[in-house]
This record gives sequence, structure tokens and C-alpha cells, in this order.
Amino acid sequence: MGTSRKSLARDQNRTAYLFLLPWLLGFFLLTAGPMAGSLYLSLTKYTLLSPPTWIGVENYARIFAEDDTFRGSLWLTFKYVFLSVPLKLAFALMIAMVLNKGLRAIGLYRTVYYIPSLLGGSVAIAIVWRQIFDGTGAVNRALAWLGIEGPSWIAHPDYIIHTIVTLSVWQFGSAMVIFLAGLKQIPSDLYEAAQVDGANGWRRFSRITLPMLTPVIFFNLVMGVINSFQAFTPAFVIGDGRGGPLDATMFYTLYLYLKGFSFFEMGYASALAWIMLLIIGLLTAVIFVTSKYWVFYGDNKEGR
Amino acid sequence: MLKRQRQLAVGAVVAISMLATACSGGTGAGGAVSSSPSPDNAGGTNAGGGEQVELRVMWWGDQARADITNQVLKLFMDKNPNIKVIGEFAPSSGYFDKLNTQLASGTAADVFFLGGNVVDYANKDVLLDLTPYVGNELDLSDMDPAMIQYGTLADKLVHVSAGANARGIVVNTKLFEQAGIPVPQDGWNWDDYARISNEIAAKLGDGYYGTYNFTFEGMDIAYKQNGAQLYDMAAGKLGFEEKNALDWFGYWSKTSEGGGVVTPELAVSHPIDDPSKSLITSGKAAMNLIPSNQLGAYQGLTEDPLTMVQLPRGPKGTGVVFESSQGLSGYAKTEHPKEVAMLISFFINDPEAAKILGNNRGVPVTSKNRSLLEAEASDVDKIVYDYTSRVSDATKTEPFAVSYNPPGNAEFEKMGKTTVQEIGFGRKTVEQAVKDFYQNAVKILNSNQ
Repeated sequence: MGTSRKSLARDQNRTAYLFLLPWLLGFFLLTAGPMAGSLYLSLTKYTLLSPPTWIGVENYARIFAEDDTFRGSLWLTFKYVFLSVPLKLAFALMIAMVLNKGLRAIGLYRTVYYIPSLLGGSVAIAIVWRQIFDGTGAVNRALAWLGIEGPSWIAHPDYIIHTIVTLSVWQFGSAMVIFLAGLKQIPSDLYEAAQVDGANGWRRFSRITLPMLTPVIFFNLVMGVINSFQAFTPAFVIGDGRGGPLDATMFYTLYLYLKGFSFFEMGYASALAWIMLLIIGLLTAVIFVTSKYWVFYGDNKEGR
Repeated sequence: MLKRQRQLAVGAVVAISMLATACSGGTGAGGAVSSSPSPDNAGGTNAGGGEQVELRVMWWGDQARADITNQVLKLFMDKNPNIKVIGEFAPSSGYFDKLNTQLASGTAADVFFLGGNVVDYANKDVLLDLTPYVGNELDLSDMDPAMIQYGTLADKLVHVSAGANARGIVVNTKLFEQAGIPVPQDGWNWDDYARISNEIAAKLGDGYYGTYNFTFEGMDIAYKQNGAQLYDMAAGKLGFEEKNALDWFGYWSKTSEGGGVVTPELAVSHPIDDPSKSLITSGKAAMNLIPSNQLGAYQGLTEDPLTMVQLPRGPKGTGVVFESSQGLSGYAKTEHPKEVAMLISFFINDPEAAKILGNNRGVPVTSKNRSLLEAEASDVDKIVYDYTSRVSDATKTEPFAVSYNPPGNAEFEKMGKTTVQEIGFGRKTVEQAVKDFYQNAVKILNSNQ
């Protein structure tokens, strides 16, 4: 009996690996090589145009010891991630709950709200965003109508990050669609029972909806954090492409790009890339480890 | 179950993170088509031998420049049927990143344009030595010796200027008229400049400015006016002291207090070097520092009559010379060096090409083409010629060295412009900002030697 279960497991494994094959092929043929290459380059001085020379961990030492821009860009990127991800998820959940009320043309709404996610990463949208938030753009004209004089949202270093966060929140569509699917999975008898017991709307949300949604929130959180860390286009296009004004758009990825492709320090840039990988990995690991305290899988025996 | 999910997810995380690295590796190379490998090297021996040769040329600029450049390349192909030339262009902001990527992967164009940053590329040995072709495929007999000298680095001719210009102050005369202030004349000084800028802003009211803040763009000129320079190429070090920088940054900080200088916020949304967004063309700012070949682009975007005045004078004069604005270099790894030399020669010597190109990249570098264009100059061109000849005359009595950008120019430019903003947005005092600026400049120079 034990053996048959084992062979069943092996069968299942084989099927799983078969499905994973395309991804594994892609990883080993296309990604693994450049990864190893960049690890090597991160230990060299490589000016792009002359052959790399081995310098050991000097790049890493310089990054941590004396690079103010590295610290600034890391701080800015964290700020962006911790602002944009929660806001985006909250917004997506809110819209998903509204759509879940059983609207008639839900298919249409779902599509319309999803469109920004498809377009949001594009350069064209970032340029439109520039126009909207310009000193004399649509936002400030609307504010002027209310008698408020708005600042130049894309030109002042204190405000530009918020413009970029807004752009990111606006792309709530894919998180919303996943939330919507999650909401549909929650058995309605739970709500009915709660209603019978006299629970109000807030209690139903906080005691039923949120706990039942935690696996979905967990997924959206992980994806959101990883994506936000790699944000590049909005910073590149809404800013001046050089991290300005005053390094207020110097996201980590942009700094890495500038170092490698504009400032002829590809070795240094490779080291930056590996540090980013470690940071994202670490942050994701933290989310995974803490998940057992807050993610509720309905099928779990202990109930938690 | 959960554990396996976790492993998979971690795997996915790693993979997704890797995409960041992989993606940036691909950026810029997207447009690059590897030059068709033609293994028979014998092809280069005789250009007229009927062998089909393909060259790629890359430049920066807008659509207008692309149109005329492609026209000239077509002319070249008509005259040399065995050479096929493919043009590529990028806006100036992304041009050098793209070029760097292509150079790194060995897929750069056979001929590409460079500006004052030619030193950076010459230092890295990626430019074709054109010396052997001079007098044969490459005709420089009619070119100014100073221009040939400019393109000769470490005893090799690696760069051929495609146009010359002189930087100067562009003046929107309509704003002066509205303010009731006479248009400034050559021979003024920096006190005049500050006073006039503030007067214009005061007379025209809110939203109008006397001048852009060109602390960074005019730095080299300002140092030369005081007997220093930005980069001393012979010595391979900075050509100025911290004191020079302090004076210059301080001048702008003080002038800005008078309200006559475009605010740092506006300078972000209306960049100093972009005619299409400039406050000069929209009639909100009266003066700016521009290279003379850009006057046409500025004038094309506004009805207000523009003119050019020499820079305000410092102790040693205006600090401005008639110099190369940009030029052509060959790629060291090109398979067709002779054809590269032929194309460059055609670009600067052919009278038909000169007529098409006009002053787009600066005044022609050969005297024949210069007189050809001067004979049929438009009104804007006349202002440019008049201005450049005034500069040439001035340099006869007050000569200045031609300037090269310091090695590591891209990083230096980023750092310098950030410093100007740090002062403008009040993040640092002038003293502190200049101190950091000087230290960083030394550091950047040292790591790019």
C-alpha cells in the first residue's frame, strides 16, 4: 500500500515537471546564463567598452560604504513600494467589492477597470500622466476651479513621487480581477448566518470577507511588492530620465540602468542588480514567513 | 502541500526578479540589427569594384534632422551605387545610452555622431583611426586646421566635425520691447546681465523671467572668462579651483533672489535645452544660453523675433570660441573603413549635401560650403552668420582654448545639474553644494581616466 502511494506521488511529480518544462527551459536557456554572467561582472570593473578586470568585492564595498545615491534610491524605492502597494490593494479591493454587489453589466465594468493595468506600464500613458499633472495641467486647473493653487506635481521633488504612486494605484485592475474571483469563492451562507446573528456591515467585512480573502491578499501582496520594486518606466518618463528633479525619481532600477549604460560602470551596476535581487528575495521571504500568522486557508484542519 | 507551494513561489520570485536584470540587458539593443556579416575581407580593397557594401549611420536629433540626414544619405547612395547606407536615429536623451549598449555588444553603427564627449569614446579605443585615409578617401583640404586638430586625439584623427557653432545669448526681443528695455549689445558684463534679467521680470510681472539659469551649461565659459577652464585635457585634471565654482554658483544664487531667473520647478517642466518646451519660444523668458546652430530651431517655434548677443564679459573676455558642435566618428570594428571615410568626406564636402543640411548641425566646416550657404542665407541664418563672425573676430584679440567635455561626462552632467537644483530648491547652501560638487567632480574624473 505504501509503495503504491509513493508511485502515485512520483507520477504526480512527473506530470508537474512536465508542465513546468517550458518555464524550466526558458530559465536555463535564457535566464541562468545572463544571471551567472552578471554575478561574475559584479566582481569586476567593467566599463562596457573594455574587457572586465577582476576586482573582487570592491563594487559591493563601494556601494555600501560611500554611495549616497544608492542609499537615496533604495529609500525612495522602499517609500514607493510601501505607499503604492497598500494603496493599490485597498483600492482594488474596494472596487472589487462594489462590483461584487451583483451589478448588471459587470462584464463591461470589469473590462473597463482592467484596461489601465494593460496600458499602465506603457510610455504613452506616462507621458499623458505628465500632461495631466503638469503645473498647468488638468489636475491643477480643476484645483484652481475650487480656488486652490496646486503645486507643479511633476516638477517639484517633494511631489513627483506622489504622481508616480497615483499612476501605480490607477493600475489596480489585475489585483481587482483576482480579488473579484476571491470574493466569489466566499460561501454566501457565512454572510447569511452572520446576518441572522445581527452582525453589521463592518463586522461582516472584518470577520468574514477579510479572513476569507487572505490567501488572495497574500498573492496580490507578493506580486505587488515584486512589481513595484522593479518599477522603471514611470520614473524614467515622468522624471527627466536621469533621476531628476533632485533624484526624486531616482528609483533603484533607474540608478542601476544609468550606472550601467550611461556612466560606463556595468560591473557596479551588476552588483546593484544582485543587491536588489537579495532585497526582493528577503522581503518576499518575510511575507511568506509571516503569512502563517495571518493567511487563513479554509481547508486547513486547525482552522488557521 | 503548503511547503511545496512555497518552494514554487520562491522559485517564481527568483525568476521574476531575474527578469529585471535580463530586461535591462536588452534595453537599447532592441533597435540594433547586427551588421550583416560579410566574411570576405577583400571587399574593402577596392570601393569602386562593384562589391555591395552596407554601412550603418547613427545620429541624434528630431524628425526634421532625420529627414535631411536621410536625404543626404540617399544622395550619397546615388553617387556610390555599390554602397548601401542605413540611417538610424534616436532623440538626444537616449542616444548615448543606445550607442553605449551597441558598442558593448559589438553592434554599433559603422559611422556615428559624437559631441564634446568624443574624449570618453577616444579613451576607450572604440573609434576608427581615420589618419590613413586623409588625402585619399577623406578630403580635409578645405577644412579649418583648428577643426582637424579638434578631432585629433592622442595623435589619431578619430573625429571629423560636421558643423561649427559658437554659444551665445539668445534674446527674445519682443519681451524687451514690451518691458521698454533696449536689447543688450555685445560688450556688456555680468552685473548688466543680472540687472537686466531682474528688470525684465519686474516690469513684465508674474510668470515672466529675464533668463534661464545656465549655471551648469555656461560653467566652462565662465571659468574661461577667469583664466581657468572646466577640464584641462593636457594635464588630465580639472582646470578650475573650488573658488571659481563658488563665484559662479554664487552669482546665480544671488541673481535668482532678484526674481529674474526661471524657477527650478519651471526649469524641470520646461528644460533649458529643449526648444519645443522652452520658455523662450513661449514668450515667458527673455534670455538663455544656446549654441548658435539651435537659433533656427528656436525661431521656427515662435513669432517673436529672436536675436543673438555675445556673452557678458568677464576679466578675460567672453570666453566663447567658434568650435565644433558635433561630428562624425567611425567605429573601430567596422568592416569597411574606406567606405566610412568616403561617407564622412562626402558629408562635409559635397555642396549639394551642404545645401540640404544647412546649419542644422552648425555652420559648415569647409570654407567652400560656408560661402555657398552664406550666399543664400535666410533671415535666421544671417543672424547666425553675423553672430559667429563677431565671435571669430573677437577671438582674434582674445583667444580661448577649445573645450572638451571631461571624461565621465554623462555622470558629471547629471551631478552638476543636480547640484544646481540642490541650491535652487534650497536643500543645500551654495557653500556646501559647491564643496560637494568639487569633490564629486574630482571623483568622477578619476574613475573615468
